[in-house]
Amino acid sequence: PEETVTGSFASFIHAARPEHLSQTVRQRSKRMILDSIGVGLVGSTTRVFDIALRYCRLYSSVAVSSVYGKPGVKLSPTLAAFTNGVATHSMDFDDTWHPATHPSGAVLPALLAASQMLPPSTKPNGLDFLLAFNVGLEVQGRLMHFSTEAHDIPKRFHPPSVVGTLGSAAATAKLLSLSSAQCCHALGIAASLAGAPMANAATQAKPLHVGNATRLGLEAALLAARGMEASPLILDDIPGCSGFSAFYSLYQPKPLAAPGEHHEFLLEKQDIAFKRFPAHLGMHWVVDAALSVRNLFINYAGSFSPSLIRTIVLRIPVSKYINRPFPSSEHQARHSFQFNACAALLDGEVGLGSFSESSIHRQELRELLDKVVVEHPEDNVANFDKMYGEVALLLHSGDILTGKCDTFYGHWRKPLSKESLLKKFRSNASHVLPEEKIEAIITLVDNLENLSDSSQL
Amino acid sequence: QIYSSDSSSTIWGHLDFRLPPLYAAFVNGVAVHSMDFDDTWHPATHPSGAVLSALIALSEAFPQKKKISGLDLLLAFNVGIEVQGRLLHFSREARNIPKRFHPPAVVGTMGSAAACAKLLALDQLECKNALAIAASYAGAPLANAATQIKPLHVGNAAKHGLEAACLALQGLQGNEQILDMKSGMGAFYTDYNPQTLPTSQSYPWLLEQQDVAIKCFPAHLATHWVADAASSVRRKLVESSENLLSLDKIEKVILRVPEVKYVNRPSPASEHEARHSFQFVACSALLDGSMSVQSFTSENVHRPALRELLCKTQLEHPPDNTPSFDSLYCEVSVTLRDGNTVSGRCTTFYGHWRKPLKKEDLEKKFQSNALGILPIEAMEGIIETVYNLEKVEDCSVLSTFLSGQSTRALPEKL
Repeated sequence: PEETVTGSFASFIHAARPEHLSQTVRQRSKRMILDSIGVGLVGSTTRVFDIALRYCRLYSSVAVSSVYGKPGVKLSPTLAAFTNGVATHSMDFDDTWHPATHPSGAVLPALLAASQMLPPSTKPNGLDFLLAFNVGLEVQGRLMHFSTEAHDIPKRFHPPSVVGTLGSAAATAKLLSLSSAQCCHALGIAASLAGAPMANAATQAKPLHVGNATRLGLEAALLAARGMEASPLILDDIPGCSGFSAFYSLYQPKPLAAPGEHHEFLLEKQDIAFKRFPAHLGMHWVVDAALSVRNLFINYAGSFSPSLIRTIVLRIPVSKYINRPFPSSEHQARHSFQFNACAALLDGEVGLGSFSESSIHRQELRELLDKVVVEHPEDNVANFDKMYGEVALLLHSGDILTGKCDTFYGHWRKPLSKESLLKKFRSNASHVLPEEKIEAIITLVDNLENLSDSSQL
Repeated sequence: QIYSSDSSSTIWGHLDFRLPPLYAAFVNGVAVHSMDFDDTWHPATHPSGAVLSALIALSEAFPQKKKISGLDLLLAFNVGIEVQGRLLHFSREARNIPKRFHPPAVVGTMGSAAACAKLLALDQLECKNALAIAASYAGAPLANAATQIKPLHVGNAAKHGLEAACLALQGLQGNEQILDMKSGMGAFYTDYNPQTLPTSQSYPWLLEQQDVAIKCFPAHLATHWVADAASSVRRKLVESSENLLSLDKIEKVILRVPEVKYVNRPSPASEHEARHSFQFVACSALLDGSMSVQSFTSENVHRPALRELLCKTQLEHPPDNTPSFDSLYCEVSVTLRDGNTVSGRCTTFYGHWRKPLKKEDLEKKFQSNALGILPIEAMEGIIETVYNLEKVEDCSVLSTFLSGQSTRALPEKL
């Protein structure tokens, strides 16, 4: 039979083995796992997480799966995945890839939940776990390459809710060792659970996109394991009857090569960006640019004196959902070029605390926001691989100071060092875990390949 | 069943097992659409399944002291239907049989959220958030139609709409302009022109102007025209040959139908595919004279006589046959070996909104469906309760009947 795109994906998921993971891929993916856990832990202190957890507790009697930051609380596997997915994306602090999506949050919670679900005799080891995680990432990346529109910052559907759901299904199917046919159906079922519109970005509902992606992908795999069947051509392009193509205006799928000689994991060539502060990735360019112009300004004026500034010009790409002159909530603030630039100028840094209620509504900050104008230079494309951020201070004196950032620290072109990544993790985890636990997780993830029972994580 | 806890809602037709409201809504919604036997509206969607299963499950989750009346249920139900209809009117592409997203997964989720928000008596802001949250769960691609997953579209619509309303009740917030924005609900359509709802004193419900179609057999609505036309052709064939239908006299069967790719299946291999096949339904109706639930059993799907007839069947797509449930037609033309042709045409089948089922026939369908699953008293109880829904004080009687309990005490509640 002719190889369909869908079939090739199912075969890939089924046939992937630990030996297929290169050193680079292993290393990068372990960094992602650690960062994702840390972000989930700190995320368990948010209001949106609180709502999700309260909701899920209504339903769990076969409670076997752990919840980030809540020792002693267990939920059913899918609801634990949901809650942890919400935590991971609650502060927009999780990783970002190119083409654009938040890959880890959609996959890791499902795997953690599933590993606790399996009976002791069939617990996956650390290597199985790492492999399944990478299968989940790879599927997401490959799907995004089917549409050129996926290379740019999204406008219609929020990518984690589209590719993330299938990534979760693929990863779970791998962990559960489903047959090739079952893997195929898992993808098909997941497609019917995918897709959330962009309009909910910058609201409290956005974290649900990742929560649902990971949970519903897990559900899809569980249903497939129980014999449910979907369209075997879900990823192929069938004119007149959309499958996965429904989520894109242009869709050109390609079969996936079998793992082994002809196949290279995308993570090998394209690394992840880790965020240094909890806000949309686009903010990171603008903040780095703002920090550099702030330094110039301090050298110029002796201290940061806002009264000397007439206008603040931001040169940014066009992207409606992150262009907010006066954000009024924490979620909006995380999605506002203007806010992040001004916070960086005012405070000399942007961190967790920058997004608290009091910080958002500070008088001095509002005054700075009043001075901001936004420009969209033509060469500044809305694409995480190509965009830049420029902040110019037009002073009353007539002088102009400019700071520009092409690649912020944490971007894949300038990855976080091991120390920086660990610092972020320790800082996040310390909100909810004691030091011994924190160090234990670091060690566990670093030696994931040697772990005999991944549910220990 | 894996995730049940100590709640609380009925699985229709099952006394032995209960599930939390979310999962009860899910499985009952799946059941409603499992055979493609549920209602269809114009613009195209299956409106009731997602709303009813969510509402009934939710109604059972209220604490004992808080009773939901039949009128509350009826109102919430209509809110859920209306929201779906209004959303469908925001896009011209919704008027035709879908090609990209399966409508129940899109508007059904929103309808379920709206209905549940109503039953939960959420305030205006919470209702907005319920809709916003629901939008992030909406949408499933059409390619899963004619597979086992399609029923899950309705099950998930019910469950997710209910979940959205519950999350809104807990204070979760989404984008308050979710229906206004192209990047909101507009994400599911290529042309999207939302309008505010009328606020007149006497609200003009869409159901007033536009009824639903109720199916007589469990298959995609478009096949109903085909079945009617094929049955009439069979009658003519039988009359003209002493009440015998000899299949080997048939040379060719031509079906003139609108172009609907996912219902064009020359050789369906499963029950789900057979329910989405013009060709299968035409041949079944030619063989048996009429369609029923039994037409889709494995034996019937694979019988040699049918397979033989399928081989002789072709489709044609006349340009004037638009893929819209409001305007499509079907012609069945059988050419015999002796050169004669017998044809039949159907523009409006019995059960379509232009020719609605009579009360007796609707009841007959219900009874035939419920037979063997619910005891007679429960069946009659449901019919009685639904007809008098406005007067029912405590709609939990409906759930009690649905669980298959036949108790003497119940008539008092009515």
